[in-house]
Amino acid sequence: MIAANDLCKQFERTVMKEEEKKTLFSKKLQGKSGKKETFYAVDHISFQVQQGEILGILGPNGAGKTTLLRMLGSLMEPTEGNVEIENLKGEKITDSVELKKCIGYLSGNTKLYHRMSTREMLYMLAEIYEIPKEEADKRIEEISKVLDMDAFIDNRIEKLSTGQTQRASISRCLMHDPEIYIFDEPTLGLDILSADAIVNFMKSQKEKGKTVLYSTHYLEEAQFLCDRILMIYKGKIVKEGSPEEIMKQCGVTNLREAFHCVMKEVESA
Amino acid sequence: MNMKRMGALFKREIRDILRDKKTMVMMILLPLVLYPLLIVGMAMVSSAVIQSQAEKSYLVSFENCEDLEKEIVTILKEEEEKIGYKVKAVEEDNCKEALEAQEIDAYLSVEGKEVGIYYLSAKEKSATAYRALDEAIEIYADALTDQQLKDAGLDADVILNPIKLKAHDLSSTEESVGSALGAFMPFFIVTMILLGAIYPAIDVTAGEKERGTLETLLTLPVTNFEMIMSKFLAVSCIACTAAFINVLSMSGAMAFLVSSSLAADTNMSVDINFAKFVPGILITIVVMMVFALFVTAACMCTCVFAKNFKEANNYSTPLLMVFMFASYAPVLPDMELTAKTAAIPVVNVALLVAGLFEFNYNYALFGVVLVSNVVYSLLTVMVLGRIYNSEAVLFSEGFASVKLFDKRSEMKKNQMPGIGDSVLLMCIVLILVLYVGTFAQIKLGFGGVAVQQAIILLCPLIYAWYMKADVKKLFSFKAPKVKGVLGGICFAFAGVLLALVVGALLTPVFPQSAESLKAMDEMIKEQPVWVIILVMSVMPAIGEEFLFRGFLMGTLREKCRPWVAVIATTLIFAVYHMSLLKMFTISIIGLGFTVAAYMTGSIFVSMMMHFINNFTSVMISLYPEQVGKMFPALMKETLGVVEIVVITLIGVVLAVAGWLLVRGEKKA
Repeated sequence: MIAANDLCKQFERTVMKEEEKKTLFSKKLQGKSGKKETFYAVDHISFQVQQGEILGILGPNGAGKTTLLRMLGSLMEPTEGNVEIENLKGEKITDSVELKKCIGYLSGNTKLYHRMSTREMLYMLAEIYEIPKEEADKRIEEISKVLDMDAFIDNRIEKLSTGQTQRASISRCLMHDPEIYIFDEPTLGLDILSADAIVNFMKSQKEKGKTVLYSTHYLEEAQFLCDRILMIYKGKIVKEGSPEEIMKQCGVTNLREAFHCVMKEVESA
Repeated sequence: MNMKRMGALFKREIRDILRDKKTMVMMILLPLVLYPLLIVGMAMVSSAVIQSQAEKSYLVSFENCEDLEKEIVTILKEEEEKIGYKVKAVEEDNCKEALEAQEIDAYLSVEGKEVGIYYLSAKEKSATAYRALDEAIEIYADALTDQQLKDAGLDADVILNPIKLKAHDLSSTEESVGSALGAFMPFFIVTMILLGAIYPAIDVTAGEKERGTLETLLTLPVTNFEMIMSKFLAVSCIACTAAFINVLSMSGAMAFLVSSSLAADTNMSVDINFAKFVPGILITIVVMMVFALFVTAACMCTCVFAKNFKEANNYSTPLLMVFMFASYAPVLPDMELTAKTAAIPVVNVALLVAGLFEFNYNYALFGVVLVSNVVYSLLTVMVLGRIYNSEAVLFSEGFASVKLFDKRSEMKKNQMPGIGDSVLLMCIVLILVLYVGTFAQIKLGFGGVAVQQAIILLCPLIYAWYMKADVKKLFSFKAPKVKGVLGGICFAFAGVLLALVVGALLTPVFPQSAESLKAMDEMIKEQPVWVIILVMSVMPAIGEEFLFRGFLMGTLREKCRPWVAVIATTLIFAVYHMSLLKMFTISIIGLGFTVAAYMTGSIFVSMMMHFINNFTSVMISLYPEQVGKMFPALMKETLGVVEIVVITLIGVVLAVAGWLLVRGEKKA
């Protein structure tokens, strides 16, 4: 179980005022190109995800999805609030290094080291996660079989095709057999076969009792994959529930229409 | 810190750097192939040029000078070896036009009493012809003078050389070679380390960002510190190796050049005893290793702000220039390693290396150079740590929002400092003492000592105030019990006695510079007694205790095992005095202070002990005769075996008594 407790993230941004825009050049020379202000990219968000559940996080660009997932994955420190994981033994974990040991995090920005082969990378991970050598050997064999990587596991990653690289990325998250997966737009820009492979992977992990959190812009995919949906807008949760519940509330038959309906509602409010 | 995880990361970084072709080319191929090739090639080209110049014949002409022409032409032919060029005379009707058309290279013309050489300085060939003519005329003029003197019945040699002069160089060949090497070696080594460090530094910082693997790294269960240290150590290793390879290949090429040019130019047999340079080279290697850490940290600090390789290259250019200019210091006149220059980064290393090759070994200053380099490296690594902690730099490129310091208003109340805080504070104090303290001592004399002590006292207090630390707990403000005080007194005297023995035993090994001791003595004797006691015993007892037994021990006590905290505090206290001899004696004295403060949990005990210790040494230097009468052993130049044994025994007994007493207090 992973829980977000009142998570907040503040960023600074530079705001140009109307009159300053007109005299931008002269103002810039004086070193006053705008005013700094802080804003919440993620604004007091709390939720829990249970074991064997897939949670989809939806929202337009800039809604705070990536920041939220980064905080959940302990890549970023929340300004306020905290992340808590309860592992299978019932222990509560809040320390960021310990949290990372329970999480497999994958996003479009988590590229792999080009100058290593997949096998070398997995051995390095084994050392970092402190997995004994024999167990690591076994695990790499297993992962290679599951993801069908035997053909290229010893090639340098820079030589792999897009699909192969994606599989290597997934293998990176699998090495320490985490209880929770956090995927930030994992199917973005992939062809149908590679995207399906990822969707199937998430399903199989759910069946194994793992927890999956993922963000996406593909609403059809979310509709049939997710047990629960969080729609966020400007850092706040604007809708929460199973896809069926949300569609019912909006009186529509697919998630895409429901999404439009929710967004219209918030923007008018 | 988890060594295993750090080791894995370190291995990965090293492997990654070694697999990068760019780095390998810069590191191995360039020094091993290009530099020797360049040097040897240059030597070959220049010797070829000289040869071709010698073989080439130059055309000259003469105008209105029939008599002179004959003489000069003869000289040009007969003395060709001395002049070094083949010069042919040709007939021209209009010499000026011929020269302008470059049909001839120069011409001679007599105008009244003056002989003029006409040539084109912009043309290399013409300039050489001019030199040849000039030389020929000089030979002719010398011959004329000789002849005229002889005609007048005088001895030409006596008239022309009234004083016989011969210079005798007492420098050994090694010293002259060393001084020549010392002038350019620092520049060369510093540049090589920079070149070795900069590419890997860019690769692990900006390169990582550019390739998009930074976020992957952040998903791993490693602390920021482990991540930075592994990167930092990997780059340092590469930088050291690169420097080593570079120095090796360059010295090889240089040796080739020197031996070939020596063999070609002169027939003297030069015997260089290379063994003489070995200690200097060994110390250079140690200093350079430490320096490489600093260079690496500085490079990484600059490159971490860059989004990609190109930007990082731009950012690092100014850094390269500053370092390279600073390493030119030994070439400047009157620049040498002194207490002042020993603390200036880069310059100190350059001066130290230059000095080593001239066989100047000043171990006290080496200590300052090493310690200050370690301090600068630590500071830079800490800054690097802050930058890496900053999400603005890691995720969104911009670096305006890097916060190196948190505002005081953001500090939690009653927190305890971490080890990082202690390291930072120690670095700040050391730099302030090195710069402000040294400056104050030069300006104010004895008052400077007080300034130095004030710095040591104020820094920990201000730091603790700024971070809103739990002052009472941190500085161990607790009234001691009687047992603790008695134990402290025992320890203090045990320390005085044991340090005396160790000092006597080690003085032959590390001779103290008598001059510096004398200067200090004289400075002291001018002051009234109460001032001396205040500045030399009371102020250090308060200031140094606040810093070491207060802030440092107070922090380490929370974070480390007891013995680690005690040993670390003692050693840092000893190193801070920056003298090899004192390091041993002060370790003993400081161990007493630290143990007493730790066991009694009261800083007042160690303050009292510190006062006793310093008061004793002030008394010894102020009233040597009286003290000598009371305790003859204290004033002796050398100690006999019996005295050593007796003093050691008393010291040990006192130490044991002190231990029992402070332990008693801890139990109670």
